[in-house]
Amino acid sequence: MLQRVVFLCIVFVWQISFGFAQNFSIAGYVKDSTTGETLIGAAVRVPNTNIGTTTNVYGFFSLSLPFQSKQLLISYVGYKTKTINLQVSKAQNINISLAPLNLEVKEVVINAERQDKNVRSSEMSRIELSGEKIKSLPVIFGEPDVLKAITLLPGIKSGGEASTGFYVRGGGPDQNLILMDEAVVYNPSHLFGFLSVFNSDAVKNIEVIKGGMPANYGGRLSSILNVNMREGNNQDFKYSGGVGLISTRLSAEGPIEKGKSSFLISGRRTYVDYLARPFLPERIQGNSYYFYDLNLKLNFILSEKDRIFVSGYFGRDILDYQSEVNPDVQFNFGWGNSTGTLRWNHVFNPKLFVNTSVIFNRYELFNDFFFGSGGFKIRSSLLDWNLKQDYSWFAHPKHQIKFGWNYTFHTFQPGILSGNLGSTNIEDQINKQYAHEGAWYITDEWQINHRFSLNYGLRAVAFNLVGPYTQAQFDNDTQLPTGESKVYAKGESIAFYPRLEPRISGTFVINDVSSVKASFTQTYQFLHLATTSGAQFPIDLWVPSSTLVQPQLAYQYATGYFRNFKQNAYESSVEVYYKPMYNQIEFKPGANLFFNQNLENEMVFGQGLSYGAEFFLRKKTGQFTGWVGYTWSRTTRQFDELNNGEAYFFRYDRTHDMSLLLSYQFNKKWSGNMVFVYGTGNATTLPDSRYAYRFGIDPGTGAPEYIFIDRYNKVNSFRLPAYHRLDISATYIVKQTAKFESSWNFSIYNVYNRANPYFIYFLPDIEKNQVKAYMVYLFPIVPSVQWNFRF
Amino acid sequence: MLLLAMLTLFACEKEIEIDIPPSEEAIVVEASINQLVGTLNYVIISKTVDYFKPDLSINSVRGAKVFITEGEIVGKDTVFSVLNRQAFVDILDSLAPGVYVNPFFMAKSEKPYLLEIELKDGRKINGTTYIPKPMVLDSTHYWFEQVGEDTNAYFYMQWFDGPQQDNYRFAMLNRYDSIFTGWGIADRFYTFDDELINNQVRPFQMLNPFKYGDTVHVYLSKISRPEYLFWDSFRNAAGNGGPFATPVSVKSNVSGAIGSFTGYALTYKKFILRN
Repeated sequence: MLQRVVFLCIVFVWQISFGFAQNFSIAGYVKDSTTGETLIGAAVRVPNTNIGTTTNVYGFFSLSLPFQSKQLLISYVGYKTKTINLQVSKAQNINISLAPLNLEVKEVVINAERQDKNVRSSEMSRIELSGEKIKSLPVIFGEPDVLKAITLLPGIKSGGEASTGFYVRGGGPDQNLILMDEAVVYNPSHLFGFLSVFNSDAVKNIEVIKGGMPANYGGRLSSILNVNMREGNNQDFKYSGGVGLISTRLSAEGPIEKGKSSFLISGRRTYVDYLARPFLPERIQGNSYYFYDLNLKLNFILSEKDRIFVSGYFGRDILDYQSEVNPDVQFNFGWGNSTGTLRWNHVFNPKLFVNTSVIFNRYELFNDFFFGSGGFKIRSSLLDWNLKQDYSWFAHPKHQIKFGWNYTFHTFQPGILSGNLGSTNIEDQINKQYAHEGAWYITDEWQINHRFSLNYGLRAVAFNLVGPYTQAQFDNDTQLPTGESKVYAKGESIAFYPRLEPRISGTFVINDVSSVKASFTQTYQFLHLATTSGAQFPIDLWVPSSTLVQPQLAYQYATGYFRNFKQNAYESSVEVYYKPMYNQIEFKPGANLFFNQNLENEMVFGQGLSYGAEFFLRKKTGQFTGWVGYTWSRTTRQFDELNNGEAYFFRYDRTHDMSLLLSYQFNKKWSGNMVFVYGTGNATTLPDSRYAYRFGIDPGTGAPEYIFIDRYNKVNSFRLPAYHRLDISATYIVKQTAKFESSWNFSIYNVYNRANPYFIYFLPDIEKNQVKAYMVYLFPIVPSVQWNFRF
Repeated sequence: MLLLAMLTLFACEKEIEIDIPPSEEAIVVEASINQLVGTLNYVIISKTVDYFKPDLSINSVRGAKVFITEGEIVGKDTVFSVLNRQAFVDILDSLAPGVYVNPFFMAKSEKPYLLEIELKDGRKINGTTYIPKPMVLDSTHYWFEQVGEDTNAYFYMQWFDGPQQDNYRFAMLNRYDSIFTGWGIADRFYTFDDELINNQVRPFQMLNPFKYGDTVHVYLSKISRPEYLFWDSFRNAAGNGGPFATPVSVKSNVSGAIGSFTGYALTYKKFILRN
């Protein structure tokens, strides 16, 4: 009875909220006037009112206006604010072009803009960065990188010096959903994690959601990293690129039909292999390592109501090795992602927008090993076909409803091995696995009144692991097949997990410059990364939920206070969060993950907890911009089979984490950046004792021979020294005109030459009769230079 | 390679002080028996030491009572008779403390064995092992390849891996004499099973070449599954280190201690790599 009353009350309140006076709708796209690129997050509002919205990821907006509205104000950071006079008060589509600011104008009009989205929006724990901002940050070897840039944000921690893995609010690197034009990127790393797969020339903007995840996103526990690629200039042909110490980037873009369609093609390749080859001895000139990637995007404006986007990515890392001692011994190792996305934007009417996407993505790994009398080839891959529709229904001035569905068919090929040892042929494979993953969601952005807004929604998800599959039974003690197996027919369900994910976040606007927000998120994750290293590596496999491996589950409660200063020139926020996580996966110490038919036997299951407070102050406009972020947090894991069942610190638990980014535009030619980061040292497991083993007596000398084996007791009970580093960079614009732009970027990484720990190892010192500890640190002070051009 | 190049070019290291609290002491057992080589029948008992204790010698345990008993498999049961119990004693105490041997002991293939240890303080350690049937080499040969002024030497051997599940442990000594006084003096070790090559000819060739004129002693052995799991985990634990290493604990097959009681079904082959 009570439930029925509550339900009727909700329906009543919802209906009441739809009662409204006479309104009309304005909808359209906001774009850059010089390139035709749509602008994501541009503010569209009625002057001197609180009526407004922002453009979505396709640059589209829809706004329901009171009947007497005469003007619209459109603004976007770095662009001239535009005022549009509305001729008639009726539903209409308008496309708005904003002109980019040059430097002088920027200084004058900077305060005329009103960028209070962070205060008024019901979203929290969400940050956007532009591709241009990412390119301006100081980086090692002069290689701008999306993933390194986001680790400067509070609540997002870097995996370490040589890692693109990132950790959001206590989650692992596999708990981040990384999307490139909506396609899932399973392994975002090049160069074993030194760089990410995102070519900064092709990146339009990125969005990071670390909490308060709206219902249109799901599939991972901790965060969303949404990387939107540029569409290409539909006005003029442009070419751009950069030459750095490691790689060269080249891009070409231009109209296919001026104003209506465009293309962008952007490529990158490392050339250390070519540069190093002349200096290598002839016998090892067959050794090389390189990566390349290619981004392609086409977009077509078919009509005022229809747009088509085609985007693709193809990247490979290739390592070739030939033994110096035995030339017959060769090793080729490679991995890479391929993605393809076809999207169709359709505007049914000014109130209803839909995007339909067909997405393909494949991550594959290949490993060839030859040694004269034999050789092996190992292949593994993960292939997804994804179909989705996302509707935005601007139903009412107070309600923006999003709903949609998403279906993915996963094919897991953990490993195929073929080869020979002499005349003996070897064929083996780990059985393929197939899974259907579906999601349906509805969410309502409800502007209750001028102070309260609410974003509430529900995401229904289902994961079905299906046949054909033969599940061999294994003996837990011997780890050998028992000979028994269960056979699943094609399409037969092996494990089925339907789940509901309620999401809610709300904002109470205290006044024009401050607000309080709160959110609750429940998320499930059905795919898991099999890794023991704590970071993500090419050989790590993604494994699906199964009868034994339950879906991971997290709840996240977050609340925060948001305050802007000086007419929104400064944004500040304090957020606290509490995030319990269940069905977390770890591997037994020394687990064998390579070509293991019985991988599940190596897993242990437990729970995690993360809580913390994040402080953020950002200045977005003016000559002097930047931010400072500080996070205090605690993250633990508890597994019955590990650490005697006691909770232990997560490897990337970081009590204190701080990042400071300062940017200054000295004049038209020179700009500078400074980054300082500080983080408590990673928790690590060190041996607490050792023992001698594999004994022998040298028959010649009578001396005993043995080796020491480390014995571990407590998990992650030791802290590495703190990580801190200062980087600076300067950009000098040699020439900047509408036709040609040339600039140099100079950067110094690790200015004060801090020895930050990479790993610790131990070595017996025979002379002193003791074991000594040594810390390896990767990068001392590293200067670099990069030339960028555009014409 | 680039990763390695970067590590080589940029990585630096320095000695650091680490404060690790004292640990709880544990007993360590290394027990080896076989049917072929008398010097490889021994039991070694030692203790763990605090990690940074300035002592690199074996922390030997003396004065223990050590017995190995040959058993019989009767139906599904394994029976160990006290009558077959043989004592292992630390007669080499002055030379090698903590090493218990029995010069008259020689194990048999296809037999189970029981290890019983009682320490002076009354603590007891037990373990069992089974020695499989030794493998028979089908063929062996060796050859030479000229590389500059050097001559590389290689050898090849093969045997038939039967339909049953088999586990192998190899040790090689590259030296003139062949007195195998403990597994620890071998130069190379390999531990593998027949997951990939089963019920067919199993080839074996060292990828790294030997020098012309080398003498190589090859000790091939079959071992049982728990012993394989121990030595496989031992291999991981011994090779642990580096930036991506994770802590590895060995999978002991004895109760009351860390370590293994391994019965080896040995096959021996000597290669003198010259014309």
